[in-house]
Order: sequence, then C-alpha cells, then structure tokens
Amino acid sequence: MIEVRNFTKRYGDFVAVDDLSFTIGEGEIFGFIGPNGAGKSTTIRFLATLLRPSSGEGYIAGHSVVDDPMAVRKLIGFMPDDFGVYDGMKVWEFLDFFAVAYKIPRGSRKKIIAEVLELLDLTHKRDDYVNGLSKGMKQRLCLAKTLVHDPPVLILDEPASGLDPRARAEMKALLTELRSMGKTILVSSHILPELADFVTSIGIIERGRLLAAGSVQEIQRTLRSHRRLQIRVTDPDLAQAEAILRADSKVRDITSYDHTLTAEVDGGDTEMARLLQHLVGSGVGVQSFSEVEMTLDEVFMTVTKGIVN
Amino acid sequence: MIFRDNPVLTRELLVNLRSSRSFLLQLIYVAFLGVVVYFAWPAGSEATNQVGPGVSQRLFNLFFLGQFFLVALVAPTFASGSITGEKERKTYEMLLASPLEPSTILIGKLLSSLTYLVLLIISSLPLMILCFLLGGILLSEITRAYLVLILAAGTFGLISVACSSFFGRTSSALVVSYLVILPLALVTVTVTQTDDVILRDFVSIAVLPPWCIAIWVIVGLMINRRLLFPPDVGSEGKEVVDEEEEMKYAVGVVIDRELFPDMLFAPAKRTDLMPDGTNPVLDKELRSEIFSQGTLMLRLVIQVSMFLSIPLMAYLLFLRPELTGYYVGYVLMFNLLVGPVFSSGSITQERERKTLGLLLTTLLRPGTIVFAKLLASARVSTVLTFLLTEQLLLAYVLIPELRDRWWTLFIFLTLIGATCLTTTSVGLLCSSLSRRTPVAMVMTYLVLLVLFIGPVGLVWYLQGYTNLPEERLASLTITSPFAAAFSIPIPSSDDGKPYVPSFLGSTALDLPASPGVQAPIWVAFLAITPGLILVLNVLTYVAFRLRWWKAGMTI
Repeated sequence: MIEVRNFTKRYGDFVAVDDLSFTIGEGEIFGFIGPNGAGKSTTIRFLATLLRPSSGEGYIAGHSVVDDPMAVRKLIGFMPDDFGVYDGMKVWEFLDFFAVAYKIPRGSRKKIIAEVLELLDLTHKRDDYVNGLSKGMKQRLCLAKTLVHDPPVLILDEPASGLDPRARAEMKALLTELRSMGKTILVSSHILPELADFVTSIGIIERGRLLAAGSVQEIQRTLRSHRRLQIRVTDPDLAQAEAILRADSKVRDITSYDHTLTAEVDGGDTEMARLLQHLVGSGVGVQSFSEVEMTLDEVFMTVTKGIVN
Repeated sequence: MIFRDNPVLTRELLVNLRSSRSFLLQLIYVAFLGVVVYFAWPAGSEATNQVGPGVSQRLFNLFFLGQFFLVALVAPTFASGSITGEKERKTYEMLLASPLEPSTILIGKLLSSLTYLVLLIISSLPLMILCFLLGGILLSEITRAYLVLILAAGTFGLISVACSSFFGRTSSALVVSYLVILPLALVTVTVTQTDDVILRDFVSIAVLPPWCIAIWVIVGLMINRRLLFPPDVGSEGKEVVDEEEEMKYAVGVVIDRELFPDMLFAPAKRTDLMPDGTNPVLDKELRSEIFSQGTLMLRLVIQVSMFLSIPLMAYLLFLRPELTGYYVGYVLMFNLLVGPVFSSGSITQERERKTLGLLLTTLLRPGTIVFAKLLASARVSTVLTFLLTEQLLLAYVLIPELRDRWWTLFIFLTLIGATCLTTTSVGLLCSSLSRRTPVAMVMTYLVLLVLFIGPVGLVWYLQGYTNLPEERLASLTITSPFAAAFSIPIPSSDDGKPYVPSFLGSTALDLPASPGVQAPIWVAFLAITPGLILVLNVLTYVAFRLRWWKAGMTI
C-alpha cells in the first residue's frame, strides 16, 4: 500500500534522510520510530506530497507521490506533527471546510461530519470555536479532519505528542479502532512503548537511515546481535569465571555481584553456547546461565545508540 | 541597563544587522541617491560655482520629502511587528516573565526597529552636504531637515510599537499605525515645506520637538503600563473573540454583518453546511477569518479614515472643487496603505499559522486557492476604500462645477477600483514569493512605491534637468494612479481653467507605442492597468504553484 524507494533528502550538505526504503502492506499499522531529528517528519512530509525528494520515489497504492500528487492526496489522510487551526471557525465549520475541499457532496457531508464527531467523541464540542479548544481536543479535531474523506491510508505524525496519559490511551484505542476499519496507518513517534502494543510492524530510523524494519518480534530477534547474560557460579570459581569472561573478546560490560556475573555478549546463539562450553570446560561451577530479556525500550536504546556512538 | 547591555536590543540588532542583506540594501540606497545627485549635478567647470538656489533647493526638497516618505512608510513596517511578533511566535509571556523592566523591553524594541532606518537616513547625509556646496541652502536648513526626520522616525516608531502592544496580529497593528501616522505626516510635511521660512523654522525647531517629546512620554508610559500588567496573556480560550460581546462595548461605529453596508465586508456566519460548488477557501476567508480577531481594527480604520476625510472634503471638494483630484489622491493613498495588509499576509500566514500543510494536502487546485485569496482580500480593501467615496458622491450632487462634469465621477471611481485591484494583486504576489508576512509587506510597499509614487517623483526630478518635452516625461507616470487622478480636468470656480499640479507638467502623455500621438494620463493608466493586474495574478499563480503547491518549498 505504501512504498518508499531509495528516498533521499538533502539540505545543502546536510543529509536529512539517506537512501530510505520500506514497504507497508494493506491493513498494517506501521510504527515509525526514531529519536527527535532522525528524519521521521521529513519522510512523512514526502509521503504526504509536501516535500520534493532529492532523489528516490514514493508510492501510495501504486500512485507516485512526486508525479501524481492529486491521486495521492485523495487516498491519504494526513495529520502533521505541529499544525494550526483557522481562527473564528466552529468545529463543524472546520470539518465542513475540509469536506468541501475534498469535494464531498452536501448530501453526504452532514452525515459524515456527525459520524467523525461521534467517532472522536467531539459531538459536544460541535459548536465551539476551534481556536478555543485545548491541545488534546485540537489533536482529535485534526484526526477527525483526516477522516472526512474516508481515506484508505492514514499518515499521522506524532499524533499523541503533548497529550496527557488519558488522552494518549484514548488515541491508542482510536488507532486500533481505525485499524479494525481496514485502514493502513503510518504513525510516527519518538517513544517506542507508546506504539509497541498495537502496531503490526515498525521501522526504526536514526540520522536519516533506516536501521531496521519488520514486525516487532522480527526486529527484536534480528536486532539482538548482542545479548545480556546472567551467570551464577559457585563461590570459589567467581574470580576464575570473571577472568575467563574478561579474556574473551566478544564479552564486555562485565559486572559481578553476589556470585552472579552480568555481561554483554556480541553475537547470537552459537556465541552463547561457545561461552558456556568454555566456562564448564575450564572447570567453573556454573549454577545457572541465562539470557536477560530486553524490553522494547532497551532494544531501541541499544540500537540507536550504536549509530550515535 | 536601558541602553547598554539591553538584551532585547542586542538580540534584535544581532539578528537584523548580521545578514549581508541589510548592508546590501544600504549600498543600493546610497548608490541610488548618488545617481540622483550625479545627474542633477551641473555640468562643466562651473560646477563648484554657485548655480543659483533652484537646483540645490529642488534636490534638497526631493531628498527631504523622499526620506520623510520612507520614514513614514518603513518605520511602521519594522516597529508594528515588534511586540505582535513575540505574541505570534508565542515568546511574549516568556519575555514578560523575565526580570527585564518593561521600559528596557520598550526601548530595546523601539531602538532595534529604528536603528536600521536611522542608519539609512544618516548615510544620506554626505550626499545632502554635497547639495550644500552648490549653494542656495543653509547649513541650518539641513540640520533642521534631519532633526525633523529623526523626530518623525522616533514618533512614528513609538506609535507603531504602541499599536503592536495593543493588537494581537502584526497586520492589524500595521494598518492602525498607518492611519494614526498619516495625518501626522501630512501636517508635518505641510508645515515644514511651506514657503514661509520663518514659520517653517519656528515649527521645526520650537514646536515639533516638544510635541514629539510629549507624545513619546505619554505613549511610552501607556506601553510601559501595558507590558507591566498585560491584559492579553493567559488561557488559550481567550483567543476567541465574541463578536456580540465586543459590540456591546464598542465606541462609535458598530459593524453588523446582517446590515448594509457592513454586509459588503463579509456575509454573515453560516448556520448550515456550504452548498455544493462553493469555493471553501473563499468562504472561510470571508465568513471566518476577517472577523476572527474581532472588529476593533476595522472599526478603527473606518473611523479614523472618515474623520480625516472631513476636513479634506471641505477644502478639496467644496471650497476648491478643481482640487477634486487631490481628494481622490487621499482615497488612493488610503488604499495604498491599507490594501496590501489584507493580501500580503494571505499566503504567508497559512504557513506561519501552520495550516498550509493541511490545506495543500486537500484536493483544492492552486487556482482555486489563489483566486479565493485574491477575491477575499480585494473585497475587504475595496469596500473600505469605497466608504471614502461617499464624500465624492455628495460633492458631485451638491457642487455645480462637478455636477456639470458628472462623467468624471465615473472615471474617478474606475481609477479607485483599478487601484484597489492592483494593490491587492501586488500584495498577493509578494505573499506567494515570501516565507514571512513582514517580508511580504515590506516588499509590497516597495513595489507599490515604485509603481505609484516613484514615477511622479521622477518626473518632478527630471523637469529641472532635461529638455525633454513634458508629454514625453509624463509617459513615465503611466502606472501611477495619482498622476492619473491629477490629470482629470476639473475647471476652477475662479477662472474656469483646470488645475494642473506643478510637479506633473502635462496631463497628457506621449503613447510609448506610437510617438507623436497623445492621450490623457488617465486614459493610458486605465488602458494598461487590466493588463498589469492580469500579469500580476498570472505570476502569483505560477509562483504559488511552483513554490508551494508543487512542494518546492519546505513548509
């Protein structure tokens, strides 16, 4: 449904996004994750037809973002991360404005506006002025605006930023509901846990480069090029075990506490097996040897830190 | 603290003067004045001799008037955004909550907006001294002229900062400052340019400075108080202006959108959905945006312009009907000042208020958006301007000299209408070419200055130095509605002869295409204006399409 091919955006010498490619299938919720300034908004603006690429292409349902912006605009609902509202307009007038701008005939407009207001729980605010709404309400109103023409694709840039915890939870519930309506959603955030429990796939971007893309489990697996080990040994062998680990080039960040050693190991399953063999073979009394599960947050932190360092 | 180590002043000066653009502009300005002096300089070896008072006096007057005009036009564009800019960028509360004294903020804002202007004025001083070498003017006269210019810059700047602290939007502050400054500028020019030398010197040295200082103190205290106890900060809900509530406390004119002629500004708010086929942008601009900041600005504009028009009407229409062109000149000047405000922000503001991304991802075509912006801003500016033609209609009914020439009324009205469209179109073009509203506004005023007033000044300047026939010279003024208005003959009630202002020379011009054939200036003006408007709007469309709609610029 959404395809980005070798998208690059340069501002002078600065490369904001470097050779980015990913695909999002129909009906997926794709979480676009990266720290501030990673290039998320640049990519999103490119897909929303608001930015011309330095090179590369983008397609929404087969329509080129660069060559056929009108067809793309018909298919997408776009919510920018930082947006304003028109002054002196009431909530229903604001939605009517966008409905007319999307060429929806008057006959169906009344019903659509009532429906989106209902969906976003804004019905009681129908006659309020938009510039008097609170931040959370404005955020919801903007999402309502992206839904008036019932687009199959939603592109949402940080829809939950600046919202209080309750509003955040409501936003999540809304996105899940939209997914059940069959929409393909690209949603960005700089906070991973915010997305972790409802996205079907994620892409992690930093410094304009895509570090990983795929389903959450897949990424967790592939990204674990190094793991955290916890080894419990018998008391007399602690010093020997620590010496063995320190001598191993694949092991780092070793700490010891109360018969237990914790360390980071570069490598996968085979590396772990080799290490265990080595310890046991050297006569160390290993009581337990286990991998510590990393949270999504930690995965993200480790992965993105790799590039920064 | 107030003058030295003033953080507001330091920051603004750094930002404004750091760019090479400001020095380039100064270079162009001085070079332009240099060219003017160069061509006016008497040729031959007698250059150092005294060539009589004519040449240097003329040059001196031109310099003074030109720079005075520059001050009156540019000081408000710099200063009226000084505090509203903070409000628009949402840094206002941060600034007020800092330990800076309000007076420090005020002085910082005022000096930073005027420094560049004063720098420009002072950089012209060496050229003015050159004129002194030609003889005919006294050193005291040059000193007097610069005193008046500096006083004017300070007063106009302070008035604009005051408007800036009272309004929420730069555009509103700018319009109101222009309207307050316009009468002050007219009075100052009249009394300082009178032929009566004693009166002139007396006013410039003994009357103006104390008055200006009094204005500075009063306005300064007002702004100070407002910055100390700001009534315009607080919850977001306050941004909503309730029209009905506002009307209850309105003084003087009340705008009711249900009634004539107020409904001409904008139709009443909708109570139901838009019909199919409506241009949504036009509907939004007219029904929501114009009155979104309340009606205060429009009410002030109407009241001040009407108030000003009364003495002008009495003298220019009723006592000396042959000067009708000058009254129309006032109406045109009003449009020149007020018209661009509505259009030059119309595209840049969508970007500044972060709504452009929402608008551009809809299915609206660039033509629809540009056309709506043009129509909405032209409508407001035209209605405001035509409110001032009521006096003209009255004069044509009551005064026999004018009644006999009833057809000239239609020419005047067409002239005014054409000017309204031109100012709006120039503003819209500059708006689609700029990223920020203040830049678009300054650009618009400069273009209009070149199109409307520059030609008249140029003819006045050239009259003294070339032997070209008056008609050839007059063809330079083809784009100026002022020259066109002065060229419409109204016979004097004394001798029956039409009045021709001395700076124009001739009311007819040589048609550029076919030499030898002459036409009145107004005919030529009305003939080329539709073409000019068309070109401006095509350029706007192309610029908007390429720069914004086709995602050429980063929003």
